[in-house]
Amino acid sequence: MAYIRKRNKKIFGIFLVPAMLVLFLTTIYPMLYAGYLSFRSYDLAKPFVPRVFVGWSNYREILTSSEFLHTLIVTAKLMAMTLSVQLVLGVGIALLVTQKLPGMGVARTLLLVPMMISPVIVGLVWLFLYFPELGYLNYFLSFLGVGAIPWITSTNWALWAIAIADIWQWTPFVMMGTAAAVQSLSPEPYEAAMIDGNSRWDVFTRVTLPQLKPVLVSLMFLRAIDAFKIYDIIFVLTKGGPGDTTEVLSLFIYRQSFTFWRMGVGAAASFVSLVIIVVLITLFFKSLNRDDYA
Amino acid sequence: MSAPSKRQTVLVYLLLAVVLIVFLTPIYLIASSSVKPSPIMFQKPPAFLFTPTLEHYESLFGMRPFAKFMLNSLVVSFGSTAFSLTFGTLAAYAISRIRHKRMNDVAFWILSMRMFPPIAVVVPYYIIFKTVGLLDTPLALIIVYSTANIPLTVWLMKGFFDEVPMALEEAAAVDGYGLFETFWRITLPLAAPGLAVSAVFCFVFSWNEFLFALMLTGSEAQTVTVAVMSFWSSDAVQWGRIMAGSFIILIPGVIFVLTCQRWLVRGLTMGSVK
Amino acid sequence: MSAITLSNVTKRYGAVQVVHGVDLEIDKGEFVVLLGPSGCGKTTTLRMVAGLEDVTGGKLSIGGQVVNDVAPKDRGVAMVFQNYALYPHMTVRQNMEFALRPLKLGADEVERRINETAEILGLSELLARKPAQLSGGQRQRVAMGRAMVRTPDVFLFDEPLSNLDAKLRTQVRWEIGKLHQRLGTTVLYVTHDQVEAMTLADKIVIMRDGYVEQVGTPEEVYSNPKTSFVATFIGSPSMNMIDARITDGRIEADGFSHPVPTRFAGRVTEGQDVTIGIRPISIELAHADDERALPATVEVTEFLGNEALLDLRVGTHELVAEIPAEQRVPSGTKTHIRLNFDLAHFFDAGTGRSLNAE
Repeated sequence: MAYIRKRNKKIFGIFLVPAMLVLFLTTIYPMLYAGYLSFRSYDLAKPFVPRVFVGWSNYREILTSSEFLHTLIVTAKLMAMTLSVQLVLGVGIALLVTQKLPGMGVARTLLLVPMMISPVIVGLVWLFLYFPELGYLNYFLSFLGVGAIPWITSTNWALWAIAIADIWQWTPFVMMGTAAAVQSLSPEPYEAAMIDGNSRWDVFTRVTLPQLKPVLVSLMFLRAIDAFKIYDIIFVLTKGGPGDTTEVLSLFIYRQSFTFWRMGVGAAASFVSLVIIVVLITLFFKSLNRDDYA
Repeated sequence: MSAPSKRQTVLVYLLLAVVLIVFLTPIYLIASSSVKPSPIMFQKPPAFLFTPTLEHYESLFGMRPFAKFMLNSLVVSFGSTAFSLTFGTLAAYAISRIRHKRMNDVAFWILSMRMFPPIAVVVPYYIIFKTVGLLDTPLALIIVYSTANIPLTVWLMKGFFDEVPMALEEAAAVDGYGLFETFWRITLPLAAPGLAVSAVFCFVFSWNEFLFALMLTGSEAQTVTVAVMSFWSSDAVQWGRIMAGSFIILIPGVIFVLTCQRWLVRGLTMGSVK
Repeated sequence: MSAITLSNVTKRYGAVQVVHGVDLEIDKGEFVVLLGPSGCGKTTTLRMVAGLEDVTGGKLSIGGQVVNDVAPKDRGVAMVFQNYALYPHMTVRQNMEFALRPLKLGADEVERRINETAEILGLSELLARKPAQLSGGQRQRVAMGRAMVRTPDVFLFDEPLSNLDAKLRTQVRWEIGKLHQRLGTTVLYVTHDQVEAMTLADKIVIMRDGYVEQVGTPEEVYSNPKTSFVATFIGSPSMNMIDARITDGRIEADGFSHPVPTRFAGRVTEGQDVTIGIRPISIELAHADDERALPATVEVTEFLGNEALLDLRVGTHELVAEIPAEQRVPSGTKTHIRLNFDLAHFFDAGTGRSLNAE
């Protein structure tokens, strides 16, 4: 065989195939296994009940249960709350820290820190802030004339408590992506707008925002994918409560699988979540509108 | 953009101060509370000046298992980093070098592996690891974390390999070197900064992870994130210890931001920003 | 024995064929230049010889051995790349050492070769530097040094001067010529610059669209171009091309007519469309009363020192004439010219093949 072809085959076989095999075994195989489990009765709490094929019954159970649908609604609500605030705040802060003023680089770096903190720690520190009676947040807010808010104990506030922690952690991500995009914009349109005497708001809405739009759309899809997976912060702050006000999809799967040990039902819910995430991932890649990944 | 006027400058700095206070206060709270004596932990107004105490750290490490959990975290993080770097780097080289129309799909597929919800595969993982006896072992976590770390490494390293001109490898080929030697002596050394960046990314991700660690480990292979969380769920609220543990956990992430922020955009935005 | 033989070598990327059946014999010690515009397949051909591209069809031999499936490292060639391809993490010395290592020579021999090569190329002072600390010309020399230390059977050059400024290019070109005289190694050299080809080559291979148009000495391709493409590609300024038709034993072009020169008698047929090729140097100013003079307008006069270029409008034709500088006339002048048909080339307008005698 010709040398270069042989060489490419070698690169493919020796460099690429191992990683693909590892990923297949560690990702695709478990997913397929989840698919398999979702059609079985697999109840670890009842070891003597045979683990038999049950057809669509696990799916029928979750898709008709108001509990499962409720978790989907909570997940969607949480996504809407966090994404909208992160978008506005993230873009706002990005515009702030891309000003050509001294100290902006340092500020940008400092603002990235929350992103790299373990979500458990984020949950814990916000728990510290929200803590009934003792937490500092209500104390800080009292200076703004806000009365004591029962953050994590009230059905009205618990979802916001979670959203705020998530917003705190991930607004920097939107800021970072937007700031990088802003800095890559060509200065010429701005110079032209300045000469033409457009107002700053005009420049922002007519020049900056349209150019940022593709980046913002992609960033929002990434945030949506992440928000859909949210688990740690809720686990720390409310564990789904009070009642089921903050019970998101991940917690439902966890509860079914590891509290009630109904692995089959948990797997069916997992599979539903996989389908939703595949849609989100596909939309994300579409939003990139680039084909130069390789 | 045009340089802001004086009044705008003042406004920008004012807003920035508010933003920084909001985003940095929780971090300050972790650091200060971890050395704050218990009696004034929730004192209002918060004490800014106090004699720091190491009592929380002492009590943390006084509990024998915590040192073990630290070790677990280190083993898992280093293990997954090494594993992911090996496989991810090799795959990234192939994706960077093989010109084939299907290569884009492969890259796509690998990258998407990183985005799947951990919770969706935790059930099968639990059963599989239970069956093969890997439950509650560091190896289980090393394998699981690599599913996210390999795609990340591929994505980062591909960028670094793309920067190494093909001509250098061709020169080495003409000079008498085969595929592996060329990769080892020319391409990899030139992409070395990528290895460092990828390693830090993988390490921090593994170090910070909670969900898999919670569900796939018990008393033996528990990691620090799960351990610190467990202080809370026990009877009394031990905030001092929680904060001391939290502070230890957030160190790698902070170091990461300070050293590798140039590559954060590429590593996390997956191509949203060019 | 030939150093390199290509017989009917082709290269295809999917459905696109970039090299069509190239036949070429390169003798030992010969300096052969592949010349042509970008995209003509010359670099692909060179890369096939190096082993950096697979040969799609045909047979490629180096030193009498078929090397179609042989790895680059086993072909006994050394290559100088367009962008030099110096290993940026190694010093100049290490770059050369790295090239020598596969030869498994003794340490003394390695040392001797590096020092000797560095001496020849004037790199002795630079051995400890890394590529980033070198100027373009120095990098170019290191790239040559790295190829030279291996004392290969064949040197391959891929547009080695294209990244140098004009002055340096002339100097390095001269040095490469000297080096070849001194080492006597077979050279295959790719360029799009005809001056490099004319000054360096023993043999020029002119390529176009993946086909070899002509192989010959610089003298041959200049004086005896086999195709209209070669005729216009070689020589500066380019040969003037005039469309014409053979009618009643005369060459009829728009605006003038001329009897078919006797040396073309029998080579052209009645009614044939031909292209007349006249080098700028074969056009001279003439008196109006000269029976063969053609009225012309000088549109632009370019003064070059010894000679001057005149952009002429002759009827519907635009021609360039190169004349002694002292004969030049200012732009806008209406004058007369004469085409020297004794030095003209004739090509078939359809095939572009030359109608001149061999």
